[in-house]
Amino acid sequence: MIQIKGVTKKFPEVTALDNITLKVQERQFFGLLGPNGAGKTTLINLIVGYLNPDQGEILIGSEKVTRDSLETRKLIGLVPQSLALYDDISAETNLEIFGSFFGIEKKLLRERIDALLNSVQLYDRRKHRVKSFSGGMKRRLNLIASLLHDPPLLLCDEPTVGIDPQSRNAIFDYLLMLNAQGKTIVYTTHYMEEAERLCNRIAIIDTGKIIADGSVEELLGELSFEECISISKNQTTTSKIDLLKKFGKVLEEQDHYELTPAGEFRLSSFFGLLEQNGISDKFIYIHKPSLETLFLHKTGRRLRD
Amino acid sequence: MKQILRLIKKDYILFWGDKLVVSLTFIIPIILIAIWGAIFGNIDSGVAGLYLAFVNNSSSPVTSKIERVLDTTKAFILIKKYTDEKGNRVLFDTNTVKDFVRKGKSSAALVIPADAYTDTSLGIKLRFYYDPKNGMEMQMIQGMLQRTIMSQIPGIFMQSLQRQAMRTLGVDSGKAFNSEIALTVSKYYKIDPKLVLGSYPIDSNLPPEAEKNRNIFGNILQLEQIQLVGADISNPWATRSVGGWAIMFLMFTLTASSSSLFEEKKSGVVLRILVSPISRVHILWSKYLYNISLGFIQLTVLFVAGSLMYRIDIFSNFVNLLLVILAAASACTAFGMLLSAFSKTAAQANGWGTFLILAMSSIGGAWFPTSFMPGYIQTISKFTIVYWSMDGFLQVLWRQAGIESILPTLGILFGVAIVISSISVLQFKKGEVF
Repeated sequence: MIQIKGVTKKFPEVTALDNITLKVQERQFFGLLGPNGAGKTTLINLIVGYLNPDQGEILIGSEKVTRDSLETRKLIGLVPQSLALYDDISAETNLEIFGSFFGIEKKLLRERIDALLNSVQLYDRRKHRVKSFSGGMKRRLNLIASLLHDPPLLLCDEPTVGIDPQSRNAIFDYLLMLNAQGKTIVYTTHYMEEAERLCNRIAIIDTGKIIADGSVEELLGELSFEECISISKNQTTTSKIDLLKKFGKVLEEQDHYELTPAGEFRLSSFFGLLEQNGISDKFIYIHKPSLETLFLHKTGRRLRD
Repeated sequence: MKQILRLIKKDYILFWGDKLVVSLTFIIPIILIAIWGAIFGNIDSGVAGLYLAFVNNSSSPVTSKIERVLDTTKAFILIKKYTDEKGNRVLFDTNTVKDFVRKGKSSAALVIPADAYTDTSLGIKLRFYYDPKNGMEMQMIQGMLQRTIMSQIPGIFMQSLQRQAMRTLGVDSGKAFNSEIALTVSKYYKIDPKLVLGSYPIDSNLPPEAEKNRNIFGNILQLEQIQLVGADISNPWATRSVGGWAIMFLMFTLTASSSSLFEEKKSGVVLRILVSPISRVHILWSKYLYNISLGFIQLTVLFVAGSLMYRIDIFSNFVNLLLVILAAASACTAFGMLLSAFSKTAAQANGWGTFLILAMSSIGGAWFPTSFMPGYIQTISKFTIVYWSMDGFLQVLWRQAGIESILPTLGILFGVAIVISSISVLQFKKGEVF
């Protein structure tokens, strides 16, 4: 569906994307995971043709994307990060305006607007001005405004920023339903939980480079260890934390230390050392590694740093 | 073209959806035009209603005549009494009238002293007390006072000349000299010699044939005033006022409308629109055409409102008026788009817009005729859109100018629109908006 071939995009003060190559298959729910400023939105802007790459090319189907090509845009629905809506007019009028740009026949557009408003429980509020909506309602309207022309490809640029968990879940369910109906979805986020929950393939991006790409299982398989260790923070553990650094990378969090094992790590050796130094095992919590662990392992930083 | 029309329709829906913007576009300018017209509506029929504190301490018939004239002229409203501490209405004397001015209750006072005009006076003594807080008002009062007195009792001047002759030559020679002068003036100006000699009392009613010659100076300087242009315009100042306010508000409207591009970009709507099959060129064309059409509607509505409020005749030369409106709307749209093209934020565009619009309106003749201004400002004013728009409006409304007469003005306005728009488009390509 999407082929990104060796794409580089530079701005005066930063290289936003550095030789990116990616493929997104049809019907895939593709996650682009990375911290703020990693280059996710720039990549989305290149895929929709808002920006031209400095090097490389992007194909949607067999069509090359450029700033001036209008054909590929009929295949794309974009859910922008910001609420790209007109506040002073009704939800329905917003949809009529955005739908009209695709030249959809009036009756069909009317039917689609009603169906989409119903699908996100906004039909009863269709005549209300957008400015009277809650954040979650605006997000839902922002989402369906991208679906009026029934595009096969939906690009979601952090579509759940700033909303409550209930609204977020509603949007997740809606996107999963769209994906099940056959839409290809590209979803950018800096929340690894979102990526893990929604996406069947994930690319991790940092400072304009793809540092990992695959399914969650494939990505976690890249790690040389099978468990991570959290150590509660208290007087005893704090005074002896340096002893544990020989088992791997230790990151200090607000209420605990996170140990990412390295090298030939053995749990028996680890607990032996704890016992010798009088550290109770009740301060230790062992858990499975996550994409966060992978990011930390690859970059030495956390996703939300 | 369909995409451009869809974008224009979108802009009109948004415009109509914001009632504050609608009122700022139409209702506020109409209110201001009404206020401005009410303030200056009678400026062409002369100054009226200037307050003047007044005391007459003289018993001379001449000063009585002056008082009567000032009492009856519409230029002045004489204040002759004040309210004392006990609440009584009391006639002014010289001291109380001076206090009245000092306390700021009147800008000026005229005091006619007891010896203002005696049998031996060579002229009239008047005392004028004033507070110079408002120089323009003071000049108007003094000018109107001199004009009223000299035009109503010109005989004083003749009496004064004759008395001077008798004082210099002696009574007998003086009388002979005055008589000779009177006969000569009578012969050449065909007036009654008694009028020249002042044989009629200054405050008397003259026979009809003498009355028409009473103002000898008026006969000496026979200034015939014939209005060649705009004679049938019922409210000339309002005609200018409507055009001036309309063009100023048009520029505000179009600057705000152009800078809406920044808001649309900030909210992400520009991105959403560009992800549909719409190009940047479509957006730019739609903005130009929408702004020109909105400007055209706004100006037309304001002129129609002016026509209803002040009986300005806009319909006898309506097609040419519409042409000037279209040219002005195009030039103002280009100005608004230029500001947006060179600004980085809406606040920047609106800030610069406010400054430039007020500057151009003041020196371009939107508020006052440029002829009131110093020569170098009149030269600068010709570089403003306001000047040429006002020129166009006044040509079609005042002079009922035909198409051939307004072609140069139309050419300048459309030319400005094309040149500025070309610069804007080049800047938009490398600027911040898209």
